[in-house]
Amino acid sequence: MTKVTLKNIVKKYGNLEVVHSINIDIAHNEFIVLVGPSGCGKSTTLRMVAGLEDITSGEIKIGDRVVNDLAPRDRNISMIFQNYALYPHMSVRENLGFGLKIAKHTEAVITERVDEAAEMLGLNELLERRPAELSGGQRQRVAMGRAIVRNPDVFLFDEPLSNLDAKLRVQMRTEIKKLHKRVKNTIIYVTHDQVEAMTLADRIVIMRDGFIEQIGTPLDVFNFPTNVFVASFIGSPPMNLIEATVDIKAGQRGNLLFPEDIVIPVPERLKNAVKHGQKVVVGIRADDLTPVNHGIDDASEKADLNLTVHISEPLGTETILFCSIGEQEIQCKMLNPYPVAADEKMKFKLAIDKIHLFDHASGNNLLGSLNG
Amino acid sequence: MKKFKKIANWLATFAVMLIICIPGLWVVLSAFRPNREILAKPAVWIPEYLSFDNFYAIFGGGKALIAIPVPAYFINSIVIASTSTFVAIVIGMSGGYAFARFRFKFKNSIFLGLMLSRTVPGIALSLPLFMIWGRIGLIDTKMGMIIVYTALNIPFTIWLIDGFFRQIPKELSEAGQVDGCTRWQAFWKIEFPLAKSGIASAAIFAFLTSWNEYALASNLTRSTDSKTLPVGLMDFTAQFTIDWAGMSAMAVIIIVPALILTFIVQKHLISGLTFGGVKG
Amino acid sequence: MTTISLKFSSAIQSKKSMPYLLILPAIIVILGVVLVPLLFSFYTSFTPFKLTKPDSLFVFIGFKNYIRIFSDMAFWEAFGRTVLFLAVVINLEFLLGLGIALMINKITHGQRVLRTIMMFPMMFSPILVGFQFKFIFNDNIGILNNALQSLGVTDQAIAWLVDRWLAFGAISFAEIWMSTSIFAILLLAGLFSMPQEPLEAAQVDGCNSWQIFKHITLPFIMPFAFIAMTIRSLDVARAYDIVDVMTGGGPAGRTELLWTMIARTGFDNANMGRANAMAYVSIILSILFTYYFFRKIIAARKAMGGDA
Repeated sequence: MTKVTLKNIVKKYGNLEVVHSINIDIAHNEFIVLVGPSGCGKSTTLRMVAGLEDITSGEIKIGDRVVNDLAPRDRNISMIFQNYALYPHMSVRENLGFGLKIAKHTEAVITERVDEAAEMLGLNELLERRPAELSGGQRQRVAMGRAIVRNPDVFLFDEPLSNLDAKLRVQMRTEIKKLHKRVKNTIIYVTHDQVEAMTLADRIVIMRDGFIEQIGTPLDVFNFPTNVFVASFIGSPPMNLIEATVDIKAGQRGNLLFPEDIVIPVPERLKNAVKHGQKVVVGIRADDLTPVNHGIDDASEKADLNLTVHISEPLGTETILFCSIGEQEIQCKMLNPYPVAADEKMKFKLAIDKIHLFDHASGNNLLGSLNG
Repeated sequence: MKKFKKIANWLATFAVMLIICIPGLWVVLSAFRPNREILAKPAVWIPEYLSFDNFYAIFGGGKALIAIPVPAYFINSIVIASTSTFVAIVIGMSGGYAFARFRFKFKNSIFLGLMLSRTVPGIALSLPLFMIWGRIGLIDTKMGMIIVYTALNIPFTIWLIDGFFRQIPKELSEAGQVDGCTRWQAFWKIEFPLAKSGIASAAIFAFLTSWNEYALASNLTRSTDSKTLPVGLMDFTAQFTIDWAGMSAMAVIIIVPALILTFIVQKHLISGLTFGGVKG
Repeated sequence: MTTISLKFSSAIQSKKSMPYLLILPAIIVILGVVLVPLLFSFYTSFTPFKLTKPDSLFVFIGFKNYIRIFSDMAFWEAFGRTVLFLAVVINLEFLLGLGIALMINKITHGQRVLRTIMMFPMMFSPILVGFQFKFIFNDNIGILNNALQSLGVTDQAIAWLVDRWLAFGAISFAEIWMSTSIFAILLLAGLFSMPQEPLEAAQVDGCNSWQIFKHITLPFIMPFAFIAMTIRSLDVARAYDIVDVMTGGGPAGRTELLWTMIARTGFDNANMGRANAMAYVSIILSILFTYYFFRKIIAARKAMGGDA
């Protein structure tokens, strides 16, 4: 059972605090992804777990051990680096076996475990090569193999896919997921790519400026973002965020007033969360704002909008339409698309129940967050 | 027109290479010629008589124009240059690693201070060293010269080694530590093997600096106990007659190891100098 | 006892003190062999210390040595000659080095061989360079005079190392011969590492080859020139070796540089106090020189995006 617990973790460089007292509880076998823009403290957090950075204050536990003062080698972890950090002067076989050799395992054990890992990752043909003779994807696999052979309690991944091209990235993403299914270890994975986070994670930790914005399953953070930052960070295309004013007459359901005299009723589930005259930010996903007959046709309540399409980006099965409400550019999704003319006026349906409301001043979700 | 330019470029390059090569080649040639041919008037352009007699003579065989204990100087040079190089590399590796891998207070000032210590002209430093070494019995000893050359080589060795370590990604050592190494093991098993050839170049460079040094050696050594080859070369001119042939032969003895080592080291030296300088 | 040893071992393990421990040996050696002796020589420069009169080490005479040398025309002549010498050789070395680098950069075959040949003068002992040119410039048997006479350019032997300006030229030539390759090699490394895109962009933008050189190539390789100048400035006093073997500063002080003057005053005339005062002038000259170029490197590093 290898739980990982981060309790009130603070990291300071001199007087500059880059991680502000964060708490994360990671369950045994959980695949957790730390995601956020660059400089949000995610890599620093990972490196503190690895023992490559000192912890200024707080406590990190791996299993039942407090590891704050343990050297990396005593933490029984493996790490996969962004640039793979393969030892250039060693063959693939030596790279894979290095950790075992340091731990003074016998030749027989090393050979057996290296062969096993090579088999698992399809590296058998490459064992005698040097890292310089490998392609990007192969290096990535060797880095994973090096992590596997040591059979660690925790795997740490530091942006492992960001040096690969788009196609290979998707492929390796699947392999990492398969790997987790097979080895069933706790994984902490850092990335700036929200798609990677969504596809891989059991739970996502969204970070910004050294704070945790939200922790939750991929669907939780997608469907119940705690604030505008998470809303705009997760999902592609990013959630449209439009300012609006609440208009409620006593006893009525009430409306959201947008620029250009657009009016949308307040969703049923949110009507108790708003007051008359309140300024809010309305979050609308592109998927929920679709041209009539070109969206998901379910029974949920819809509102009609007339918008002009400025630009269209066909992606094949769908087309992204760029329109605007007031000054704000918004993106909509068109399913079963046909070629859209420039500046074509179209009729849209908005799934009212799917919209999100955020406080204008704080940016927080008016429903609060799932994790309280 | 383009072709003409190309030919002109080749000719100019050829001329430059001639200017670089001729002086050295002339000395080498003279080392194999007898004095009477070197001194002949009018000049003898095509050598009529080439032999190893001059080398034979300065190493004590045959009759030399001026008797000079070249073998002793040669041994002194080897002992002093190798020992000081070894010590400077050990100290320089530790210091260079610190500058390449750690952030610490006063880092830039300490680095600058070390470099500035190297700028002190040898002759200016030789005055106090002459007085102090004289008092503590290090004057005219190999030990005294080894200590001086170690100090002379440390700054530049640190500069070069710092550059070589910076070329090795920090993640490799980190990966090693995660894989179970102590920092010490990670250094010896991962970073050192990768920096090895660079460090070897730094060593050769340090060796050559000691091998070639004159200003300090000429004032801190005076007998066969510690005199080095460059100082010994001046023995030839200290007399009223100059033994050009003998001097040329001795020059060849100083040049040849330097040329061989330069040839080995050239590639790494250039990358070390530029990297250490530009990439900070 | 235990607390002290505990403290000590925790100091070794603490990451903060690690870099200091690593550079400590270097600092100790430099302190012992350079800094302390220099402090001692600084003190000596305020005494009339002569090697022949040991007691004079403890007589304090204030700035008398400095006043003596600063009012001595021969000192100023040597000082001026030294500064002129440095200005001439470093500028010429840079220009020649740049020219050679550009030439070799154009050549497609045999670049490596040429680069290796260029490297050799750098590795010559300055004393050998001096000897080599003493031999070449010798008025009686030197290859230069022999060649000139054989070609009929002159029937008189030219006294290269006796005439004031000819000797200055000969010594400068030796120094330039020895050190131009540092510039050539580093500038060549700069040219090799130069990205092609800006050159192509400038061509598309309508620059002629001179404009490309002036606005693109030259600014890019200047940091490399500064590195070369810094490396050079670490070693400017090597000229002492060359002059010592070629002319010994003579005849009659006509080729005296600051450094040969120090040696003569300190060792030949045994006047250590005054020699140390001169040595301090030479040290300050060297340090100013290096510091200037080092600052340029730091600026160039920043311009190239490295962290200082």
